[in-house]
Amino acid sequence: MNTHEYQAKHVLQKFGIPIPPFRVVENINQVEKAVKDLGITKAAVKVQIHAGGRGKAGGVKLAKTVEEIHSHVKNLLGMKIINNQTGPEGVIAHKVMITDLTEIKKEYYAGAVIDRKNGTASLIISPEGGMDIEEIAEHTPEKIKTVPIPENGKLRGYQLIQMAKFMGWTGKTAKEGMKVLAALAKAFIETDASLLEINPLVETPSGEILALDAKLSIDNNALFRHPEFAEFYDKTQIPSNEAEANEHELAYVALDGDIGCMVNGAGLAMATMDIIQHFGGKPANFLDVGGSADVQKVIEGFKIILSDHNVKAILVNIFGGIMNCATIGEAVVKAVKELGLKVPLVVRMEGTNVEAGRKILADSKLDISVAKGLSDAAQMVVAAGKKNR
Amino acid sequence: MFIPLNEKTRVITQGITGKAGQFHTEQCLAYGTKMVGGVTPGKGGEKIFGLPVFDTVAEAKKETNCDATMIFVPPAYAADSILEAEEAGIPLIICITEGIPIRDMLEVSKIMKNSKTSRLIGPNCPGVITPGKCKIGIMPGYIHKPGKIGIVSRSGTLTYEAVWQTTQNGLGQSTCVGIGGDPLNGTDFIDVLEAFEKDPQTEAILMIGEIGGDAEERAAEWIAKHCKKPVAAFIAGRTAPAGRRMGHAGAIISGGKGTASGKIEALRKAGVTVAESPAEMGAAVEKSLTL
Repeated sequence: MNTHEYQAKHVLQKFGIPIPPFRVVENINQVEKAVKDLGITKAAVKVQIHAGGRGKAGGVKLAKTVEEIHSHVKNLLGMKIINNQTGPEGVIAHKVMITDLTEIKKEYYAGAVIDRKNGTASLIISPEGGMDIEEIAEHTPEKIKTVPIPENGKLRGYQLIQMAKFMGWTGKTAKEGMKVLAALAKAFIETDASLLEINPLVETPSGEILALDAKLSIDNNALFRHPEFAEFYDKTQIPSNEAEANEHELAYVALDGDIGCMVNGAGLAMATMDIIQHFGGKPANFLDVGGSADVQKVIEGFKIILSDHNVKAILVNIFGGIMNCATIGEAVVKAVKELGLKVPLVVRMEGTNVEAGRKILADSKLDISVAKGLSDAAQMVVAAGKKNR
Repeated sequence: MFIPLNEKTRVITQGITGKAGQFHTEQCLAYGTKMVGGVTPGKGGEKIFGLPVFDTVAEAKKETNCDATMIFVPPAYAADSILEAEEAGIPLIICITEGIPIRDMLEVSKIMKNSKTSRLIGPNCPGVITPGKCKIGIMPGYIHKPGKIGIVSRSGTLTYEAVWQTTQNGLGQSTCVGIGGDPLNGTDFIDVLEAFEKDPQTEAILMIGEIGGDAEERAAEWIAKHCKKPVAAFIAGRTAPAGRRMGHAGAIISGGKGTASGKIEALRKAGVTVAESPAEMGAAVEKSLTL
């Protein structure tokens, strides 16, 4: 689950990481009080959305006067941002952060992730902050240091000293910086984060270390033990059909093609998208109905696929293992009738009781094309999609 | 070596009285797997399908002398169950459960890496099957056929697809191992490739990967250096957008890393026959045998 910058900053503050004061506003009337509370006349005004690349998209503005704070908030509230991280629909900023401007002596990077290769959590740091860590990795890989985080989240003293040296910190800055890095590692583990990033982490002219930005993603599988994060879920930042899918426990990702697909199993669902492209089509979505798809799930699946109006044809690809093909056949027939499906539908089934399943589809007298093999199915649905364009 | 399994492999189920545990224990029994018991805390002393139920894995191990355990415990408790099985010294721990928090797996990974007694397969995997001999997991048994292809995969139903294709073209399977779709797992491609390389029944290997991480790239390196048997592969997710999780917790391209094209290129460089489409997995491994 992704979170907003202000939520991530609240979490970091709880772990003792210093952050310049900020307020979040949802409408222009709240600005006056926010500015007064902060006691500022200049500010950074930042859209709150669940995606990076805000600066490049014009979602971050610097205000030199109180009037400018007002006008920037006015312009940024409701702003729609579309980039490679938001998906084709884009996301709208319903909240804007106003934060004090900080004098910066130097920018750093600090982030924590799961290191899949080594099976550990890792802290990644760099004395080159402000740009994407990927960019740093590409241009100056020697300026990145990766340190394993112990399972209890407590970095060891020597690890902190090594990191402070790598960052080039001395004296008071080193002391404060080490405190921040230790807190970051602890926060990563204790919040069950999958990503926790401070970029930039900055040093002020007086030697203070502050987190100017924060990004936190929480492991969905661990949300059950963090009731405090339930309120972080923000439906407005997720494409509406993905939010709908989440509620029905379906894994759905919207894509920009026109062939809808419904598949059981994540790997097979990806492979189905691939084979559609292989035969010259473009998949409209990823949709895994799971191993125990029943009538209700199949109906919800169709609804979600059809909520994307680009969809010109649908492919249902089910490898019935434990799941019986007859059950799937019945579910598809019921769903098509109930929804009055208009777009061409191709069904490919294989596995347990497949003959019975195919017979149910054929006997339904509905306009359903039954494919024999995976290649057949893909070619049929691509052709049907082209015809329906 | 943890594969192949055989008729004598003695198996218990952790979470045997739950819905999934019960259903799949019955399915495994029907396939011919030598199921010898199960564990559900608080239900010790009961019987299910004539099998004894124990409160703890240690008791089950002591009473049944099992070689393997299949775990269906809910995600919040599954890490605990893996560690309990490790402490009881069960050699093969197969965790089917999907949705274990990654922080729990950090701890599990570390312990399993240093374990002197046990190997973990999964979590979030379909299990392991040696066709005609022993099935430990949730895969439909009847699509398999004893034969010569070793299949290793990060996916479930996509593996069934590959199994079906190699059954259809008559090659059959020596053993199929699902290593799971999570970012951290107990057994990776290389562990299984190594075992297939040593397994006399396996004549060629079919490896099914997907976007995310670099397990396929590392496997490619290993194949280039050590693998004498022919290898074919399919990588799912050529059409997957970057930065989006595709169902599996581990299936995500992040920071430009873990793309299908990168993996395919690495495998091709290592001499692996890569299937262009998922419909050609069986054909690809057939072709690899003639090279």
